[in-house]
Amino acid sequence: MKQVILSLVIVVLGVFGAAGSQAGTTEVALKPIKVDRSLDSLRRGAQVVFDTCMRCHSLRYITYRDLLDMGLSKEEVDTLRGDRGLGEYLQTTMPPSAAKFHFGMLPPDLSLMAKARKNGPSYIYTLLTSYEEMSNGKIDNPVFPGIRMPDILNVTVETAPEERAVVEQQARDVVAFLEWAADPRAQERRELGVYVIVYLVILTALLYWRKRKIWSRLDEH
Amino acid sequence: MAGRIIDWIDQRFPLTKFIKHELTEYPTPRNLSYWWNFGSLAGIVLVIQIVSGIFLAMHYKPDALMAFDSVEHIMRNVNYGWLIRYMHSTGASAFFIVIYIHMARTLFYGSYRAPRELMWWTGQVLLLMLMATAFMGYLLPWGQMSYWGAQVITSLFGATPFIGDDVVRWLRGDFVVGDATLTRFFALHYLFPFLIVGMVVIHLVALHMVKSSNPSGINLADKDNIPFHPYYTIKDLFGFGVFFIVFAYFVFYSPNTFIEADNYEPANPLKTPPHIVPEWYFLPFYAILRAIPDLLGGVVAMGVSVVIFALMPFLDRSRIPGGAKYRPIYRVMFVLFVIDILVLSYVGLKPPSGSLVIVGQVATFVYFSLFTLLPFISRWEERWLRKKGLPPEVEELIRQEEEEAAKRGRRA
Repeated sequence: MKQVILSLVIVVLGVFGAAGSQAGTTEVALKPIKVDRSLDSLRRGAQVVFDTCMRCHSLRYITYRDLLDMGLSKEEVDTLRGDRGLGEYLQTTMPPSAAKFHFGMLPPDLSLMAKARKNGPSYIYTLLTSYEEMSNGKIDNPVFPGIRMPDILNVTVETAPEERAVVEQQARDVVAFLEWAADPRAQERRELGVYVIVYLVILTALLYWRKRKIWSRLDEH
Repeated sequence: MAGRIIDWIDQRFPLTKFIKHELTEYPTPRNLSYWWNFGSLAGIVLVIQIVSGIFLAMHYKPDALMAFDSVEHIMRNVNYGWLIRYMHSTGASAFFIVIYIHMARTLFYGSYRAPRELMWWTGQVLLLMLMATAFMGYLLPWGQMSYWGAQVITSLFGATPFIGDDVVRWLRGDFVVGDATLTRFFALHYLFPFLIVGMVVIHLVALHMVKSSNPSGINLADKDNIPFHPYYTIKDLFGFGVFFIVFAYFVFYSPNTFIEADNYEPANPLKTPPHIVPEWYFLPFYAILRAIPDLLGGVVAMGVSVVIFALMPFLDRSRIPGGAKYRPIYRVMFVLFVIDILVLSYVGLKPPSGSLVIVGQVATFVYFSLFTLLPFISRWEERWLRKKGLPPEVEELIRQEEEEAAKRGRRA
């Protein structure tokens, strides 16, 4: 049985190794990114999203009250919402007819974007930072050719190293905010998980000890 | 006082007798390995799914316009809704992992053989019910993959000769997957688990009739048994503990491992995703479907590939005990089968391209060959092993078995 298991493990690793290398060649190369989940990053990300993304995109599953749960102060939220109610969701200022006119489509909702794409955070970061000026003078995104979204963070304009660093930091902050928006309970989940798993490990250790104890009765016969 | 209450009940209901017969005196082989834990694990996963499912149903809206939003409402606004939902979505995958291991154990140790054919067949029915339940449940979040997965799978029934289109329309309740499909899938997804519970009871009644198989493959009844309680109650509880640690890791730290990214986009009947994949647990069968160029042929092959397991008691004609343990050739076939399943899963996952199509067809051929060759190989293997000579203890066990079988035959 042990040999069987061992050989199966080797095969499984082989199959998934092959799957991994295959995936790398067929899908677009995303820039890997580690999401900064600090409140500072979330706060800056929210600001960028409000100033730029939300000119066209909505976040229909996020209300202003959720931003309080995220950690923003009452004053900060009041500044962001203006005269909108706390229970209203984050709606774009662009009317749908204007969006249709400019882009030929409604820009997708951003609430779930970080989960609705494979490697969502890297996907968003790559998308935001990959704009380039093409040889014909037009601005396009070689990783997502023909994309209708403009170079919103001015990647193609701010090319000096220090300017570029600012833009990349903005992109990172947007990713942090959108990752939070896709799963606002994730922090709660990660915190609770530690307690659950520690509890289960202790319980299982005790059960194992009981099992050994009970089964040792059989040795007496 | 407690004693008097139990006496009162015992005069009206066989409570003490039941506990004695099914637990404290129920004989279980003492040599069961941890592979025998997966039956009780399947039971606990069924409980997780039913309990989490009932709580989800309290907040879910089976309506094409509200389903997706209501799942997000559960994830964001319901107290611990994210926990219930992630437990349910992770539980579906856990169910299949546990069941597949449970089946692999049965195949490896030959536990499907007489007198446990009915265990194996009720298990086979349970597998089909589980697959149907999982398939219908996957539609409910009403994401892109939910929608297009259901669209593809229901359209397969269009391969039915003569009445194909009618069958598809009857299943969907509409010309395409839509609100009518969602509501009926929800109703059935809520019903099926309780039918599964009923089938599990039958599975267990059969088990308590024939008793557990064991790694030696020999019927150990009255030979080397220990009572189920406390020995296996504590062993199963320990197994639950280990299972829950792994389960909790996925629920709390990697809950989206088993959820396709596309499914976080609401169903859109006008936008076909570039690559539609079924859930991972259907991948080998999906690969078999695609390996056959003809639709009807593919659907039949897929159906047969699932139910062919039921024939195992007839296909395996060897009388050597211990499943793969004392049978080197069967052991090779078992390993080959598992590798083949993994290859098929990989092929099912990827878009069909030149060389992968060939790989899928070869793997499909190997899949069915292993089953169809088994009657001949198992017979030949038995003759070869008998001639070569088995370990003396195995020969002794076979002799005892035959004696007992002869005795049973006389009584009957």
